[in-house]
Amino acid sequence: MLIVDSELCIGCGVCEDNCAFGAIEVVDGCAVVSDACTLCGSCVDSCEVEALKIEGGEKSVQVDLDSWKGVWVYCEFRAGALAPVSLELLGAGRKLADARGVPLSAVLIGADTGESAEKLIGHGADTVYRIDNQALTYFTDESYGAVLTDLIKAHKPEIVLAGATAIGRSFIPGVANSLGAGLTADCTQLDIRADDGALLQTRPAFGGNIMATIVCPSSRPQMSTVRPKVMQALDFDEARQGEIVDVAPDPASLQTKVRVLESVISEQDNVNIQESDILVAGGRGLDSEKGFKLIRELAASMDGAVAASRAVVDAGWIGYPHQVGQTGKTVAPKLYIACGISGAIQHVAGMQSSETIVAINRDEDAPIFDVADFGIVGDMFEILPLLISKIEGKRGS
Amino acid sequence: MKIIVCIKQVPDAKDVRLDPETNTLAREGVQSIMNPYDQHALEEAVRLKEQLGGEVTVLSMGPPQAVDVLRQAISCGADHGVLVSDRAFAGADTWATSYTLAKAVHKIGDFDLILCGKQAIDGDTAQVGPGLAIQLDIPFVTCVQKVREASGTELVMERMMDDGYDVVAVSCPALLTVVKDLNEPRVPSLKGKMKAKKAEFKILSAEDIGADSSCIGLPGSPTQVVDVFPPPPRGERAILTGSIEEQIEQLVEKLAVYL
Ligand SMILES: Cc1cc2nc3c(=O)[nH]c(=O)nc-3n(C[C@H](O)[C@H](O)[C@H](O)COP(=O)(O)OP(=O)(O)OC[C@H]3O[C@@H](n4cnc5c(N)ncnc54)[C@H](O)[C@@H]3O)c2cc1C
Ligand SMILES: Cc1cc2nc3c(=O)[nH]c(=O)nc-3n(C[C@H](O)[C@H](O)[C@H](O)COP(=O)(O)OP(=O)(O)OC[C@H]3O[C@@H](n4cnc5c(N)ncnc54)[C@H](O)[C@@H]3O)c2cc1C
Repeated sequence: MLIVDSELCIGCGVCEDNCAFGAIEVVDGCAVVSDACTLCGSCVDSCEVEALKIEGGEKSVQVDLDSWKGVWVYCEFRAGALAPVSLELLGAGRKLADARGVPLSAVLIGADTGESAEKLIGHGADTVYRIDNQALTYFTDESYGAVLTDLIKAHKPEIVLAGATAIGRSFIPGVANSLGAGLTADCTQLDIRADDGALLQTRPAFGGNIMATIVCPSSRPQMSTVRPKVMQALDFDEARQGEIVDVAPDPASLQTKVRVLESVISEQDNVNIQESDILVAGGRGLDSEKGFKLIRELAASMDGAVAASRAVVDAGWIGYPHQVGQTGKTVAPKLYIACGISGAIQHVAGMQSSETIVAINRDEDAPIFDVADFGIVGDMFEILPLLISKIEGKRGS
Repeated sequence: MKIIVCIKQVPDAKDVRLDPETNTLAREGVQSIMNPYDQHALEEAVRLKEQLGGEVTVLSMGPPQAVDVLRQAISCGADHGVLVSDRAFAGADTWATSYTLAKAVHKIGDFDLILCGKQAIDGDTAQVGPGLAIQLDIPFVTCVQKVREASGTELVMERMMDDGYDVVAVSCPALLTVVKDLNEPRVPSLKGKMKAKKAEFKILSAEDIGADSSCIGLPGSPTQVVDVFPPPPRGERAILTGSIEEQIEQLVEKLAVYL
């Protein structure tokens, strides 16, 4: 609980200005805390007269932190392929492991993984724990969760990273919960704190409106899911040496209550918009399903994928997996082109971390222009065909 | 079928904007709403009840004013509402939140199904649903986009994946987290509104649910927020000028690195 010492408080209001959550207010010359307080501690640090403190802060059950060593990356493998984020995380994990002076290990779970383990070594892993078993052909939270939990218990790594993908965001929370470990969601930055070697995990929250840095001071492992496309993979190096350790899963962990009856891979579009470098997004301004074809054409001309606002998904012009925003997906491609999208806050929440944003809209006051790096004010039906032919011309030459 | 729906009260995104002067979330007069995903969870619960019989209990952890979302849930077809509320819950991360909700579920009693939203639009972690299932030792399925078949004992559904979807079956009791595609939430009926007006809610403290004080709130949370800051500002925006042809020319030039 955040305690205000009314004797010490001078009612200066510095804490009020420092609180990102508007949870502290000076009333009659003394700070008062409301229920919106998240106990983040910003105000405690800001108070010059030390009138604020957080009580009951330490978790009472501490684990022996020094007995946990090494950095692990869960490397997602589905439908015969490694997820690109796995290699990105080996790049990030390598840096963390070197900073800590510990080895980097990869965990590969699936069936018929072929040469994947060698690939993981070439991209930075010192050790690959490979659990290749026909019963793991399909992802289930229970089997993948049990296998990873058992391995973590046996080897006690200090850090475990996984991609913030549909699979990672589904079973990693279960693993963390059963280990009693802290888990930070959707990280975009990872660093080692100099004083104590703790993992500093930075992530956006409140739809990207604030960034928070999170630590797990007294529990291990420190776990994070990390957004695709933010970390850098190392180039493949054939000469890199590593060890592949085949692990037989405990038969009990392959028994699941959830049964996968069928796995449907969408063939129609590239639906995994979170892994795409270029996204072309269309909004209600396209007017009709037919109009929306222009978006597909523009995307095709640049080898990008198609995204959409909720209005378009609700109208049925494209499926929900393509929806960007607060109730859709959060994306951060290198290039996001928003066409006929007004830029409602719920849409912007899902795309504002894109590297470059282009907006095309006939309304010069549309809020989408506030987040755009380049904007064109005009009629899409005139602009898009010209843009497509221009791009095709440029790429063709 | 006995269904529990977990509902979080969240600030309305429309109102949550970063004040560029102070770099804090301007929360003045911010409306609190039912987490949008939870509306879909509630709707599915009410549909399952209508189809199979049973009752729907809504559960929330939060400050006293969170009863507002429970009341709204009653107007949309829920039967009972339970609020767990205690200053000692403050600062809970997803581990401590899952623990607290699990304790509250034990207090509520028997259930066949628990429905959660995929994620809350403030904390944005999507971790509470799976965590709660682990605490209760029941199977879970995340990101359910469609319920294909439901009987009192088994459900067949589609779960959204990055590259398509999986069709999965699970026996009850189980926990599902749901996405927006699942259904279209109803608007409250007049009768529902009347019922909501009169509804009374059980308010449970940490002691009432038998929570261990070292497992709740900040002390029970393995993660701790140590810093909060605004996202890096975007560069200057540039509206291109000239004729449409000229603008397109400029744009293609600017985008050359991506082509
Ligand atoms: C709880 C909640 C959650 C939500 N979640 C999401 C979400 O996840 N994702 C999301 O996108 N939305 C979401 N929304 C909806 C959001 O508030 C907006 O309604 C939606 O994003 C609007 O979509 P749009 O920009 O395509 O349509 P509009 O707002 O209708 O904008 C259309 C734009 O097209 C322009 N236009 C029209 N014709 C032309 C033309 N010929 N040439 C050029 N420009 C043209 C117009 O000027 C206008 O700016 C959510 C809303 C709520 C309440
Ligand atoms: C800036 C910031 C960043 C944070 N980052 C992390 C982090 O990385 N890791 C972490 O463990 N904690 C984090 N927290 C704490 C976290 O927000 C809280 O634990 C919160 O109570 C639950 O997390 P959520 O909002 O992400 O819910 P989610 O896990 O996204 O919610 C999923 C579903 O669970 C149910 N649910 C969630 N909360 C409640 C509730 N109170 N009552 C009823 N049902 C509920 C709802 O059905 C909801 O749709 C953070 C907090 C802040 C302020």
